Amino acid sequence: MKNVIEVKDLTKEYKKLKAVDDLSFEVKEGEILGLLGPNGSGKSTTINCILSLLNFQKGSIKIFGKEMKPDSYDLKRQIGVIFQEVAVFEELTVYDNVDYFCGLYINDKKLREKYVNEALELAGLLDYKKFYPKQLSGGLLRRLNIACGIAHKPKLIFLDEPTVAVDPQSRNNILEGIKKLRDNGATIVYTTHYMEEVEILCDRIIILDKGKILASGTASDLKELSEIDEKITVEISEIDESILNEINNLENVDDFTFEMNVLTVKYKKGKNNLGELINFLKKNNVTYNKIFSERPTLNDVFLSLTGKELRD
Amino acid sequence: MFWHNFKYSLKVLFKSKVLIFWTFAFPILMGIFFNLAFSDIENSEKLDVIDIAVVKSDEFDKNIIFKEAFKNLSDGDDKLFDIDYTNLDKAKQLLEDDKITGYLVFNDDINIVVSSSGINETILKYVVNEISSNAEMINTLAANDINNEIKKGNYNINYEEIYAGAYKLVSKDTAKLHNISNKNLSYTMIEYYTLIAMACLYGGILSMYIINYKLANMNSVGKRTAISPVHRGQMLVSSLLASYVVQLIGLAILFVFTISVLNVDYGDNLPMIILLALAGSLAGLSLGVIVATLIKANENAKTGILIAITMLGCFLSGMMGITMKYIVDTNVPLVNMINPASMITDGFYALYYYSTLDRFIFDIVSLLVFSILLIFISYFGLRRQKYDSI
Repeated sequence: MKNVIEVKDLTKEYKKLKAVDDLSFEVKEGEILGLLGPNGSGKSTTINCILSLLNFQKGSIKIFGKEMKPDSYDLKRQIGVIFQEVAVFEELTVYDNVDYFCGLYINDKKLREKYVNEALELAGLLDYKKFYPKQLSGGLLRRLNIACGIAHKPKLIFLDEPTVAVDPQSRNNILEGIKKLRDNGATIVYTTHYMEEVEILCDRIIILDKGKILASGTASDLKELSEIDEKITVEISEIDESILNEINNLENVDDFTFEMNVLTVKYKKGKNNLGELINFLKKNNVTYNKIFSERPTLNDVFLSLTGKELRD
Repeated sequence: MFWHNFKYSLKVLFKSKVLIFWTFAFPILMGIFFNLAFSDIENSEKLDVIDIAVVKSDEFDKNIIFKEAFKNLSDGDDKLFDIDYTNLDKAKQLLEDDKITGYLVFNDDINIVVSSSGINETILKYVVNEISSNAEMINTLAANDINNEIKKGNYNINYEEIYAGAYKLVSKDTAKLHNISNKNLSYTMIEYYTLIAMACLYGGILSMYIINYKLANMNSVGKRTAISPVHRGQMLVSSLLASYVVQLIGLAILFVFTISVLNVDYGDNLPMIILLALAGSLAGLSLGVIVATLIKANENAKTGILIAITMLGCFLSGMMGITMKYIVDTNVPLVNMINPASMITDGFYALYYYSTLDRFIFDIVSLLVFSILLIFISYFGLRRQKYDSI
């Protein structure tokens, strides 16, 4: 597969702070690449550098094999961006907003009308055509933001935290829409600090922190990097401290915590840890409400790599 | 793309209630205020005939042009000056006693002596400057005629006849001084002209508002627009054109309102005043564009800077008191040469004080050059704009 984006040795500094530190990566045609990292990790700065909105100190950026510059209009024509902040005109209706931004790319009025309606349909906004942005809920606004960025059917789409502060229903709608875009052949760069989203959506993930790539690969590849193999969570109303201390002696246990009546036990390896823990609790007459087992998440990977939580 | 951006820029501007208030409603409210405040003094506040003195001297006697011009200016019902031809001591005394605005002394040069700065002093200075520029023209024409006579071998030259001929040639220009009338010149009218001029310049808020939507460092819409494949020049000009249309509609409403509701009489000068307002509006809009593109600050700060520049320009141009124009013209003429507010006020005064349009046209051209220059600078500032931070 061809490289749609090639970033090489990209370094961006704000005064003395390195926001992006010698970053190199590629994005293949047709894939969804997730840039995962906490706030301030350099995700948006990287995108803004790629889009030639920001000056950078070092490095090169190629899109579709060509160097990206502010006047690379032929490249810009093939790009769509959904920014973290809602980028719409308060003075225009939903339809006019999408039509305006689509019109910056598509001259033909009939084709544009078709594209605008398709974008509104994809974003689930057909019933809100005549609404003004201030009349929309936060979730609908985010969907409008997406419709404005993708109406012209770009081949390369950047989505910069499109689901921040969005209700679950709108989030699902947005994620479904992004899958459709990928199915229609678009290459997507998706930044977020929500690990669940990248796990659901992305073919490949780059974990960023302090402007550097910590790890990259598929979700499964990355989970291999985690120091734990299983995490079991149990809701317990009461447990003696002496019993708690015995948990450390169970086989494969790496660590455990007991906070707010929730016991979390992390295991380094092993696949039958759940049965053993249930037996241990029964043996010690500990009653529990819910118990469930999880494989390591990307947050655990991030924790293993940096020693801090992804959402810290 | 050009008309697409133009159409939506118009929509955005017309939908912005704040802009509509400042562009359409505020000038009308100010007009109503002026009407209420000045209507009672409209008839009594015509400028008085200006008392001046001319110190008699051989130099003045030889200066045919000035003598003729002053004769015209102190004749008839609509005369501008009452002139006392006297000696230097008496002129000084008259000035000291506050009986005259100033006096003129003709030596190698023409000295204007005044004791204070005000509208009468400014008028005196303008008129003398104008006559001087005509005098130079007459002298040049006469010198050419004299050279021609010498080339023909005619050394018996009738200088008086040649100067009279040159004077006749320029008499169209000097004749305008016959028509200088103070009968329309009232403080109320000056306030209405000031209102028009300020409305022109405050159009900069319109262009700044719409251009801010094209700048990635201003807002998220700007970021989205900046990554679109539309040429920056196209975006700039179509946005500017949209703000110009809105500004002109605002001005048209202001003119219609002042004429039909407030019964303001712009007289024969109305087409020229409209022309000046068109050029002045372009200057105001280009000022807004350059502030938007070149100054790196947030929207509120930019608005503050634009208003501050406009207010300062208006102040220095004499819109808030004509004395300031006189002081600036005398001490730092360069400031008002690049001050669009001064170009507009100067254009209005030119319509009042000169019947030919030379100076008025000069002001119009100055405003256009100023506007084009600012738009070009803005374009080059915008063309390949990348930011250090957004």
